[in-house]
Amino acid sequence: MIRVTMSTLLLWTLIACSRGGHGGGEDWPIHRACSSDGLEIFYQSCDPLQDFGFSIDQCSKQLKPNINIRIGLILREDIRELFLDIALVTKGSSILNFSYPICEEDLPKFSFCGRRKGEQFYYAGPINNLGVSIPTGEYQVLLKLYNEKRSTVACANATIICS
Amino acid sequence: MADTSLDGPQSLKHLFLIQTGISSLQFIPGHNLRDLESLHLGSNYIASVKLPENFPAKNLKVLDLQNNAIHFLSRKAIESLQPSTNLSLNLNGNDIKGIEPGAFASTVFRSVNFGGTGNLSVIFRGLRNSTVRSLWLGTFEDTDDEDISSDTLKGLCEVSVESVYLQKRRFSGLSPATFRCFTRLRELDLTATHLEEIPPEVGGMNALRKLVLSGNKFDQLCQIHAASFPSLTHLSIKGNRKKLDLGVGCLEKLENLQKLDLSHDDLEAPECCDRQLANLSQLQSLNLSFNEPLGLPSEAFKPCPRLQVLDLAFTRLRVPAPQSPFQGLRLLRVLNLSHCLLDTSNQRLLAGLPRLQHLSLEGNRFRDGSIPALNPLQAVTSLESLALSSCDLSSLHPQAFRGLGKMSRVDLSRNSLTSDSIDALGPLTGLHLDLGANLMRLIPRQRLPILSQQKTINLRHNPLDCTCSNVYFLTWYQENMHRVEDAEKTLCASPPWLRGVRLSEVTLNCGLSPAGIVSLVLFLLLLATALILATKFLLRWKYQHL
Repeated sequence: MIRVTMSTLLLWTLIACSRGGHGGGEDWPIHRACSSDGLEIFYQSCDPLQDFGFSIDQCSKQLKPNINIRIGLILREDIRELFLDIALVTKGSSILNFSYPICEEDLPKFSFCGRRKGEQFYYAGPINNLGVSIPTGEYQVLLKLYNEKRSTVACANATIICS
Repeated sequence: MADTSLDGPQSLKHLFLIQTGISSLQFIPGHNLRDLESLHLGSNYIASVKLPENFPAKNLKVLDLQNNAIHFLSRKAIESLQPSTNLSLNLNGNDIKGIEPGAFASTVFRSVNFGGTGNLSVIFRGLRNSTVRSLWLGTFEDTDDEDISSDTLKGLCEVSVESVYLQKRRFSGLSPATFRCFTRLRELDLTATHLEEIPPEVGGMNALRKLVLSGNKFDQLCQIHAASFPSLTHLSIKGNRKKLDLGVGCLEKLENLQKLDLSHDDLEAPECCDRQLANLSQLQSLNLSFNEPLGLPSEAFKPCPRLQVLDLAFTRLRVPAPQSPFQGLRLLRVLNLSHCLLDTSNQRLLAGLPRLQHLSLEGNRFRDGSIPALNPLQAVTSLESLALSSCDLSSLHPQAFRGLGKMSRVDLSRNSLTSDSIDALGPLTGLHLDLGANLMRLIPRQRLPILSQQKTINLRHNPLDCTCSNVYFLTWYQENMHRVEDAEKTLCASPPWLRGVRLSEVTLNCGLSPAGIVSLVLFLLLLATALILATKFLLRWKYQHL
């Protein structure tokens, strides 16, 4: 019981602190996507309209290829075409920017491609990533999911802490 | 939903009931759905495609049942769709485990989508003796499915089908036998099917018109053994997962090829494309965009004299100076050279293109940021639309567009042009002109007629001056709102108190009327007289009291 209270308190402090940092109580709460084996990932929805749920199954400094994730959100747009933008920043300098198509008219890579605006969407499965060994440090990642009209489907500000 | 809940509309054509929790098609009140053309029922708990009795399906063209719980298709269920002819049935994301033999035998479908189905043998067995124009049998990254063997594909021999899509499937033991039942196909899509080679001596594919081999792992173009597909008109091999080597004459047997897509393939060639595209004399559209550097000598596309559309965007082109790589393309209408890092000082660059209508040079640089009087554009007199955005231009010579009298669309956005460059547009009339995101500040009176002779003008995101020094332009702008585009993004940059205000909302009081001048002069005279009188009076008063 005490452990539960303690961890709740810790999480609450964390959320409260970061909200203060963002200057207002308007932001979505910070969630923990995973934490184990020296790797911690936190994220916060940067879509002003809604929050979303996300978690990573196998969290490790030695990130395995083809890891499983879970994501749940309400679709604000049709996702016949869906693209992902990733921007990785550490110590204020940008390391990596890339864009990746997830659903395309002539190549729907995932079974959820083609779902419609308004659907409640839950995906638990592999994401076809490369295996990497993450160097120690703190990283900021901006992830954006959008469709062919550049309308936001999801947006996340994530922090990766690798110790 | 009440029985009469959809009554009222005279001709309801599309109904979306996606993820509404329904478990049976009986829930839908069918009274007023005689004209229904599409019914979308994805992400529900529906287990059968059987339409309710008396459901008016006559005009139904699309029945979308993706992501439901349909595992079995009975003969009765498929027969219930029969009043509709040419139906597109989407069963994507329903793991079909069984189909009653002959279920599809009596109905003609435009397309059926079995995406993500684990076992294709079940599908082929169930489709025996049926007619389906287009069959989508692809799978997904997150779906477990069996490799498909030649035995599985045998089932295709007994289905009458024109187009087959097998995205992301994996073939076990690829051999000519794998293709045995593809011989009547007109279209075959093998996108991302992990292919490294198409076995040689695949025979009998004479009917195939369109072949898609994108997202595979070929090393060399010759590995597709194109001679097996002699009637192809469309071939797409884009996004190859390895660096693709074009080889020599790998497609020379494709005498009927009209459209070829080789984009995003990491292609690289010091000298292209005479030998690589040998014998493609019917080719009309060629896409080589997003590749590694290509060297283009004169008459680089000599084997393809019928080309109408050529896309080379984002592929660096090395054209040695006075060469004319596009010489001989007498039918070319569309040429995309955006971000090709071209040497634009080459006068002969665009020589030999008598029919060119659309040209994009977006993202290319000109020497000193200026288009000179003598430039490669003057060789393409038939040009109708020209894109020169993001070219880092700071000026245009007044003669830069000389001889381009047929132009109707010019995009000069995202450069650093000032109003001096407007003179270059003097010889052109009736343009859709985009000058957005430049450095236009003051536009002098003598240049306004050049703007007036155009159809539409876009001046968004320019640092426009809203003081009296720009009053002629501001007046012109407000009188010509009908030809202005993006007025809500055309804002003042100075003076500071008008920054961000729309140009259309600015009212200026500059200059004075003759009556105003007369009264001002009178007022000044009066003031001077009063002053003199006052001084006189003051002095007199002072001396009287000495």
